[in-house]
Amino acid sequence: MLPPFELRRPVSLAAAVDLVATGGTPYCGGTELLAVMRLGLASPETLVDLKRVPELVGITAAHGEIRLGARVTHREAAASDAVRTHAAILAAGAGLLGNVRVRATGTLAGNVCFAEPRSDILTALLALDASVDLRSADGARSVPIEDFVEGAFTTVRADEELLEAIRVPARSGPSAYVRFAPAEHPTVTVAVVATGDGCRVVVGAVGERPELFTFPGTGDVDPTAIAERVDITEDLNGHEDYKRHLTAVFVGRALEQMGVADA
Amino acid sequence: MPELDVSTTVNGRPVEMRLPTRLTLADFVRDRLGLTGTKVSCGMQVCGACTVLVDGDPVSACSYLACDVDGREVLTVEGLADGGELTPVQRAFVDCSALQCGFCTPGFVMAATALLRDEPHPTEEQIAHHLDGNLCRCTGYLPIVEAVLKASRAGGIDE
Amino acid sequence: MSELRVVGTSVPRTDAVAKVTGAAVYTVDVTMPDMLHARVLRSDRAHARIDDIDTSAALALPGVVAVVVGSDLSSLFPRFGHIVPDHAILAIDKVRYYGEPVALIVATDLMVAADALSLVDVRYTELPAVLDTDAALADDSALVHETGYSGVSATPVVVSEYSHRNVAHEVERGWGDPDGAFAEAHLVVETRTHHPMLYAYAMEPYNAVARFTDGALEVVSTAQHPFMVARDLARVFSLPLSQVRVTAPYVGGGYGSKSYTKVEPLTAVGAWATGRAVKLVLDVEESIYTTRADSADVVVRTGFAADGTILVRDFELVLDTGAYADNSPLVLDKAVNRCFGPYRIPNLRVRGKAVYTNTSPASSYRGFGAFQGNLAGETNIDQGAERLGIDAAELRRRNLLLRGERLMPGLRGMDADLVADLDLLVDELDAGPAPAGRLRGVGFGCAATDAGAVPSSTALVKMQSDGSIVVLTGSTELGQGSRTVLAQIAAEELGLDMAAVRVLQSDTATTPFERTTGASRTTTLTGLAVQRACADVLARLRTAAAEVWECPVDDVAVRDHSIVAGGRSMSYGETVRAWFGPGGGEVVGQGVVRRAGVLAELPPFWEIGMVGVALDIDPETGQIDVHQLVTVADVGRAINPVLVEGQDLGAATQGLGGALTEQLVYDGSQIVNANMVEYRIPRITDRPRTFTSIVAERGDGIGPHGAKGVGEGARNPLPGAVAAAVARALGVWPDSLPLNPEHVWRLARKGISQRSGT
Repeated sequence: MLPPFELRRPVSLAAAVDLVATGGTPYCGGTELLAVMRLGLASPETLVDLKRVPELVGITAAHGEIRLGARVTHREAAASDAVRTHAAILAAGAGLLGNVRVRATGTLAGNVCFAEPRSDILTALLALDASVDLRSADGARSVPIEDFVEGAFTTVRADEELLEAIRVPARSGPSAYVRFAPAEHPTVTVAVVATGDGCRVVVGAVGERPELFTFPGTGDVDPTAIAERVDITEDLNGHEDYKRHLTAVFVGRALEQMGVADA
Repeated sequence: MPELDVSTTVNGRPVEMRLPTRLTLADFVRDRLGLTGTKVSCGMQVCGACTVLVDGDPVSACSYLACDVDGREVLTVEGLADGGELTPVQRAFVDCSALQCGFCTPGFVMAATALLRDEPHPTEEQIAHHLDGNLCRCTGYLPIVEAVLKASRAGGIDE
Repeated sequence: MSELRVVGTSVPRTDAVAKVTGAAVYTVDVTMPDMLHARVLRSDRAHARIDDIDTSAALALPGVVAVVVGSDLSSLFPRFGHIVPDHAILAIDKVRYYGEPVALIVATDLMVAADALSLVDVRYTELPAVLDTDAALADDSALVHETGYSGVSATPVVVSEYSHRNVAHEVERGWGDPDGAFAEAHLVVETRTHHPMLYAYAMEPYNAVARFTDGALEVVSTAQHPFMVARDLARVFSLPLSQVRVTAPYVGGGYGSKSYTKVEPLTAVGAWATGRAVKLVLDVEESIYTTRADSADVVVRTGFAADGTILVRDFELVLDTGAYADNSPLVLDKAVNRCFGPYRIPNLRVRGKAVYTNTSPASSYRGFGAFQGNLAGETNIDQGAERLGIDAAELRRRNLLLRGERLMPGLRGMDADLVADLDLLVDELDAGPAPAGRLRGVGFGCAATDAGAVPSSTALVKMQSDGSIVVLTGSTELGQGSRTVLAQIAAEELGLDMAAVRVLQSDTATTPFERTTGASRTTTLTGLAVQRACADVLARLRTAAAEVWECPVDDVAVRDHSIVAGGRSMSYGETVRAWFGPGGGEVVGQGVVRRAGVLAELPPFWEIGMVGVALDIDPETGQIDVHQLVTVADVGRAINPVLVEGQDLGAATQGLGGALTEQLVYDGSQIVNANMVEYRIPRITDRPRTFTSIVAERGDGIGPHGAKGVGEGARNPLPGAVAAAVARALGVWPDSLPLNPEHVWRLARKGISQRSGT
C-alpha cells in the first residue's frame, strides 16, 4: 500500500523546478520511487510528475555528445540509433536491466538519482564519462557522474534540484558491456571503453557504487589488479572472495568481447 | 486523502473518475472497474502477473499510479477477446496447455501480446528475454515458449 | 474393455479459456456485499511477552471498524491446527516468531486499514529466542511452547512425551539388526546433508473472505483442503460442521502450501468481531512468514556388501518446524518413510525429530518430507557406487524393489517396475560433450513415496433430464487439471462428450467430502469415486427404466450408452424424463472410496520419482545451465498425457529451483529475502534446453483405467540428481543446497585443489 501524497503535474520545466524547489519530490517512471514508498522507506508529501514537461523529453545527438532528457526511458535509450552508435554500452545496459516493464516505464534519470549500487546505467555512464545537468530555482550546474554518486543510494543532488538531462560524450571506439546476473540484481557488471587517450574500465554491482579504473590502453588492463583493488560489499549475491574472482573473470570477458588479445 | 480527476480509456471504454493519488493501476482496474483478470502477486515488479498495456507499453499495474493513465489508453486481459473470439495469443495458450493454475496467465498473455506487436516473428531467445520478467510457478515455461511461437506463426496479434 | 474415447486423450483443459481471458475467478477476486477489509499487525521480534496493546489511536481513525487482539478471543477456541491445535489465531500472551499476527485491523477501506497499522502500540518484553534447531535442542533452551495442547480444551494443557520440550514430533522406525549388519558390511558410507528452508510461492497469496449469515459461517478461501479448514473453523466458533461453509474457487497455485488452515480463522474472526463480511489478502512477505517448508539436517549411513547389495541403512533427521506445528509432524512422518528410498533394505533404523524454533511455521510443500530426505539418501547411494566402483545405475538396479516387494512391512507391495523405469531414464541422458568452457555433469535419482494419503473420497454425479451431467466433488482444482481429468473419466464412463460434463468442486456445503487435495491423489482416488458414481447413476437409470417399462431390473441393460431391454431403448436423458414425468428431475449417483476392499492396504499407490539431468557448468562463475531434463512418469495410465507431462515438467522445475537457487535465509530473527526479488525461483531463461518426458503406462495403478497419481514424483529426486551431476562434473560432493553459482564455484575450486593435491 502506498502512503498518501499530493501529485502535481507541471507542464513546463520552470513550473517543475519551482515545485521541486518548494519540497516536491521529482517523479517520472516511478519504478524505484514507488517501490520504496510501498516498502515504507520513503513517504514524500508531494510528487512532482515530470511526464508532462516538454523540455525533458527525447534523445539528441549534437556537438559530439548525446543528451538524454530526464523523461527518457530505458527502452527508448536501448532502441535509440544515436545511443546504439555513440554509446553502445549504455544501450546494452539499458536493454538488459530489470525487465520489459521496468524498461518501458523507468527512466535513466530516475535510475541515476536513485543510485542503486547495482545499477547497469551507472556502470555504463561512468565508463562513458557522462555528466548530469542539475537545475534548481537558483540556477544550473553540470556534475560528472563520477562525482555525482557518493555511495549506495546517495548522490550530491540537493533536494531542491532537478536532474534535467544526462550528457554522454559520443564515442565510436571499441567498448564492451558484460553482466553476470543469476539473481534479479546483477552480481557484477563491467563496462570497458577505449577512448582516444586511454581505456576506462568500470566495475559495478560488487560494491556500494560503480568504480572506475583507467589505463593507458586496452592492452594494459589487468583484470587481476582491478579485482584486488575494487571495493566489495558482501550480500546474498556473494562473499568478498567470490566477487573479486568474478570481477577478474568478467573484466577478462569484456576485453575478450572487444577482441583484446591475451585477455 | 489527495485525489485527482482522471479521464482514461480502458479496453476501449471511456472512464472518468476522481481517484486517490495513492491508488495503483491494479487496484483501479480490479476494485473500481471490476476487471479482476489483472492479478497482483509479488508487488515488486518482478513477477509480471499484473502486466497491463498503457498506450501499448507493458507496465506493472501493482506499482503504477492509476492517475498516470490520465489521458492514456489502458488494455487489460479482458480487452483482448473481442466479442468472445480469442486472440491468437490466447488461442495458442489454450492449445499448448501453457497454463495450469492460471494466476500468471493474464500477465503472460499481455506481455506476449506486447512482444508480438513489436516483433511479430520473435526467436525463442527473444521470447525468453522479453518474458524473463514474468514468473510462472506451475508450467516450467516450455509450453509458454511454444505458445508464443505458435501465436507468432498464427499471425501474432492480428487475425 | 471397449476402446477408450476420451480417456488417454489430451483434450484441452476445460478451464483454459476462462484463464486466458481473465474470467476465471480466484478468491482474491471475490467480494461480498458491505464488505470490510482487514490488515494484520505482525510481531517485529522473534520471541517476546506481550505486555500491553494500545489500540485506541487506531480505533480513532475514521473508517476503522474494529481492532482485534488475542485477548479478545477468550470466548472462542482461539487456536487452530489439524494435528496439534497450537496455532494462535492472534498471539496470546507472547509472540513466537517475527511476523506472527498480533492484531487484526478491520476497516471500511484497505487504505485505512493499512494506515491504521502504525497506530497500534504494542509493548513487549523480549524473551530469549531459539532461532535454529541446535539452539532449540540445547539443555537449557528457551521453550517455544511451555505447554502442550489439547484439541478439546481451549486452555493449553501440559503434555510432552518427547525427548525435549521443544520437540514437536519424534519418530523412530526400523527393522532387522542394524548394528549387526553394519559390523558385517564390506563398506559403510556416511553422508551429511543440509536442506534449506523453502517457500512454495503460490502466486495467489494467502487470502480469504468471510461472513456470518443466519448464524452460519461462510468462508471463501484459496485453500487446497476446504473440508479440513471447515473442521478448524467449527472448533474455533463452536459451530456444527453443517454451519460452516468453506468454498475454494480457482486456486492460484498450491503445491501443498495451501494445505490445511492458514488465514481463514483470522478472516473469520474479523467477521465475527464486526458482524460484516471481511476480506483479508496477505502480501508476499506476509505469505512467506505464514508458511514455509521445513529445513532438514540429515545424517545417513549405509552398509554395502562388496557386490553393492544394501545391507543396512541408518538415518537421523532433524527438521526445523518453526513456531507452530501445522503439518510438520506429518512432514516428519513422511520424511522418515521416504528418506531411505525404494530399495530392498534388510536392516533399517530411522530416527527423526521435528523441532519448534522461533522462526516462521513450516508445513507441506510438494512432496513434503520426500525431497528433504531424498537428497541425503540418494547422494549416499551415489557416493557408495563411486567408492565401490560400481556404476550408479547398476548399483540401483541391484537394490531397487521388484514388483510386489514391500518397501516397509504392512504397506502395499511395489506397484511399479522400478528397474524398467530406471533403464528408460538412463538411456535418455546425454553425457556430453559440453560446449567450450563448460563441464557436463549427469545425475539422476529415484524415489517412491507413499502417495494418495488416506482413501476417503465421495463424488456425486447428477444426470440431468437432457442427458448432460454435473459432477460434484470436494477435490480442488489447483491448476493440476482435476476439473478436466475428472470430466474425462465421467465422459468415458457414460459415453458423453466433454461438453456435456460439468465438474463443480470444493464447496463444503454442497459438494461431498474430500479429505484433501494433495499427495497426488485426485486422479486415482477422486477419479475412482467419480467412476463409481457414474456406475451408480447407470444402476439407478436401469432401475428407473425397469419401473417405466414394468419389467424386472435384470432384464434392463446398458448398451452403447443407452438403457435397453428387449427391443426397447432409451437414452439416459429420456430415462430421466420418463421416470420423473413432465415435472422434470435428475438421477443422482454416488461413488464412495474408503479404506476398504482394494484400498484396504496403504498407501493407495506408490508415486514413483525417476528423474535425470545433464548440466553444463561454467567452472569460472559456478553458473549452471540445464542442458537436459528427463522425467519418467510411471502413471499406470495417462488419462490426459499433456497434463501428465505438465505435472512432471512443473514439479521438476520446482525441484530445479530448490536445487539451484532457492532458500529462505534467516539472519537473526528475520528472513532477509522474504520477497520475490531476492528469493529467486526459476525463470523462463532458466528453462531446460531439452526436456524429455517419458510416460510409462503399464496399467498397474489402482485408479480408473489402471491410473496412478502424478504431480510430486518428479520433484522429489531432482535435488539429489542435480547434486550428483555437479559432483561428477567437479569431483566434489555437495552437502547442501542450493547449488547457486557461488556454492558451485567453491566446489569447483575445491575439486581443482584436491586433484592437484594442494
